[in-house]
Amino acid sequence: MADAMQDSRPVILSLAGFSKSFGEIQAVDNVSLDISEGEFLTIVGPSGSGKSTLVRLLAGLESPSAGRLLLRGRDITVIPANRRPTAMVFQSLALFDHKSVGENIEFAMKMKGVPPADRKARVHELLRLVRLPESFYARATTQCSGGERQRIALARAFASDPDILFFDEPLSAIDYRLRKALEVEFKDLHQRTGRTFVYITHSLEEAMVMSDRIAIMQAGQIIQIGTPEEIYGKPANRFVAGFLGEVNILEVAGGHFAGLDRPAPANARRYAVLRPEALRPGKGDVTADLTVVQRLMLGSRTQLFLRSPTGAPLISEVAGDAPEFERGTTYSFGFSPDNIAWVDE
Amino acid sequence: MRVGRRAAAVVRALWIVAILAFLYVPIVSVVLASLANTRYMRFPHKVWTLDAYRDALGSFTTWQIHSISLSIAVSVVLIATVLGTLGAVAFARYDWRGRSLFQRILVLPIFFPQPVLGLGLLLSFSAVGLAPSWKTAVIGHLVWIVPIVTLVVSIRFFGYDVAQEEAALDLGASRWQVIREITMPQLWPGVFSGMLFAFLLSWSNLPLSIYTSGPDTPLPVWLFTRTATNYSPLVPSVAVIGTAVSALIVIALALVLAAGKAVRRA
Amino acid sequence: MTHSPGPKFALPVAVFLLACFAMPIVIVAWYSLMPPRTFDLGIDLTLANYHTAVTEGYARPLMWSLLGALITTLGTALIAWPSAVILHRHAGRGATVVSVLIALPIFISESVRLFGMNVFLMPRAGILAGSLDWAFGFKIGSILNTWMAALVGMIYIHLPFMLFPLLLGVSLIPQDRIEAARDLGANRWQTFREVELPLAAPGLLIGALLTFVLSLGANAEAAILGGRAVTVITAAIEQRFNYAQDWPMGAALTMVVIIVTAVIVLPVLARLDLNRLTQ
Repeated sequence: MADAMQDSRPVILSLAGFSKSFGEIQAVDNVSLDISEGEFLTIVGPSGSGKSTLVRLLAGLESPSAGRLLLRGRDITVIPANRRPTAMVFQSLALFDHKSVGENIEFAMKMKGVPPADRKARVHELLRLVRLPESFYARATTQCSGGERQRIALARAFASDPDILFFDEPLSAIDYRLRKALEVEFKDLHQRTGRTFVYITHSLEEAMVMSDRIAIMQAGQIIQIGTPEEIYGKPANRFVAGFLGEVNILEVAGGHFAGLDRPAPANARRYAVLRPEALRPGKGDVTADLTVVQRLMLGSRTQLFLRSPTGAPLISEVAGDAPEFERGTTYSFGFSPDNIAWVDE
Repeated sequence: MRVGRRAAAVVRALWIVAILAFLYVPIVSVVLASLANTRYMRFPHKVWTLDAYRDALGSFTTWQIHSISLSIAVSVVLIATVLGTLGAVAFARYDWRGRSLFQRILVLPIFFPQPVLGLGLLLSFSAVGLAPSWKTAVIGHLVWIVPIVTLVVSIRFFGYDVAQEEAALDLGASRWQVIREITMPQLWPGVFSGMLFAFLLSWSNLPLSIYTSGPDTPLPVWLFTRTATNYSPLVPSVAVIGTAVSALIVIALALVLAAGKAVRRA
Repeated sequence: MTHSPGPKFALPVAVFLLACFAMPIVIVAWYSLMPPRTFDLGIDLTLANYHTAVTEGYARPLMWSLLGALITTLGTALIAWPSAVILHRHAGRGATVVSVLIALPIFISESVRLFGMNVFLMPRAGILAGSLDWAFGFKIGSILNTWMAALVGMIYIHLPFMLFPLLLGVSLIPQDRIEAARDLGANRWQTFREVELPLAAPGLLIGALLTFVLSLGANAEAAILGGRAVTVITAAIEQRFNYAQDWPMGAALTMVVIIVTAVIVLPVLARLDLNRLTQ
């Protein structure tokens, strides 16, 4: 579906051969990418992967060492941040604490010389958009809660009516429940406004919830880009697979699954990535006797830490609380090669 | 247990009262001493009077030492605020090679015996042929006060999220608008505190002035020489007046600032 | 980072300090190497003044100053530590008011405050002696014009300089660390020595350094309260410059104080993280 959408929508932002180095360090390394009109693209990577630098380059807060940036076909590579029709929600939110909530939100309009009365009307509209009461207009930003501050930053970014909104990990310092609620709100806001969102995060889980497409960054390069389903089902390499959470990675050597001592199928490549829920007790195309080392209850599911006769560690996830899998007991587990995602590196 | 706790609270309160008494009894003593009309101290006074204040206000010396102190302090405030604010930008706003060294060199004059600094400056002024006057005292004060103002403004800078400037830029502000809308309003409290520090520290300074002001005698130097040698009965009243003047100037500045803020709000 | 504007902003202050702080030290050093009683800077350098400083009893004023600075530092630390702890942990809302009250005297000239101490301690009809005589018929002596009075004055003048850095230091001790130490069986003294003191060390160090260095040069206390019962090093230098008209000798003594200061200050300053402290 996302692929179809990708095809039907025009490209809004196009990067070609984008690079940025700080002295010896190559923060962004030859990135090329097309972002579609109205899409929610999330760039995911561990800290130091260059994702923050990439979004700062896109916003115009840094200038690239090499490469070109086209906005609807117009070259904006050398246009500074204040003359780009984009807005960013910062990691620290960067609210102006010496200004009231209303003054924060109307800032972009004030810079453009919009008359005060029009600004005020628009601020009220924006407060409604982000679901804040209009009484917040005169409040000090320092008196607002974490969730309220997020909404103020969002409204402030929307005020300039930007073509693209950038988000630089705005939820990274927020507690779990509020983060979950705001993720849904961001997605909802994206759908209601139809704007292009480019979102940076280190959490693939967060990306999965919100995005049309996900780009995975490692060492300054985009190593995989695709829909959440594609990333989940066909990780490009072990790094991406590891990013998805706990998975079994089985090395294939001499036509066999190393550690299991079972033959691998003919289409096997270097590594087999097997999700815990695909390794099930009982029958399967490939089976092995595994010993339960540890049993973790996760509410509706149970995670089993297993060990093969040759000592290889594996993880399985089963429904319910599975009391029969006591520590030290040995069971037969199996999986189907159809559920394996093969990677070369 | 409860009694023990209450006793501990009483001991703590008494300790703080004792500290405050230690700090303020001499200051109160100056005020008490100023309320007599005798040449030599005989406390309690037979007659309590404000005569000394009348005499002090009628004396040319009082006006002269105040105007010298004011000339020095105003010059120090103007120069130290500019240098200190620029210094704070280098000290706290940017990370650059050599910053750590700059920071350490900057605080050196604070950790330096002031009278020794004053004597060294006096010798240097003579060596380069500069006659000591209130102007050389300004230089002396600045060596000590510029680092302090830099630190005071820096404290404000450290608590300042630089991303705010980027956010403003990202929302369409020009460089100049960023400085006017974001940087200056946020740093202004630090700069203002720096100005107050500069004024008060210059106004009250003795050890640097005493060696660098030459024939121009600022208030603290006059008080010191008239206490240590050749006592003047005007010392207590002039001491009180001089301290009150500095307090009034600070209060007036704070009021001007508050009024300015109110005007901008309205 | 590569093109940070930092150095540009640092330049004015750096130039100023070079001209008005570093250069005077160089000039003093140069004068100290001139033959005795010369008034011009030349190139025939001699160590004669330093030799005189060692042989002709200038060690004594320096010792008085060092001893005075040491006693002042210890005295202010002993008074300031409990005060800082009380203000930080127990005073609650009153703490701000008390802190301001403690800070205010810094901005009142030491001429004024020392004069106040002088009239308070004055024998017979001073504020203290006169009041006691008037109220209770008590006749008391006075410590005015003794080294003791000068020391009281030094502690009095420098107490705020110790208290404020210490307050900062004490506020760096998280309460849970103290509770953890107590929970692990440390008694009050062990908690103080093993946990509180090391955690507050940056503040204590700055306060001690500031107090020590400022009182090392202190002269006014000895003049107004000590009645010049002892000659401190600054007074000795001043005499060389003014009355003896021996600039090179005064310069050599000044250099001695500068070197002593440098030996004490530089190692400590090299270790302090100034960014953390001002934050």
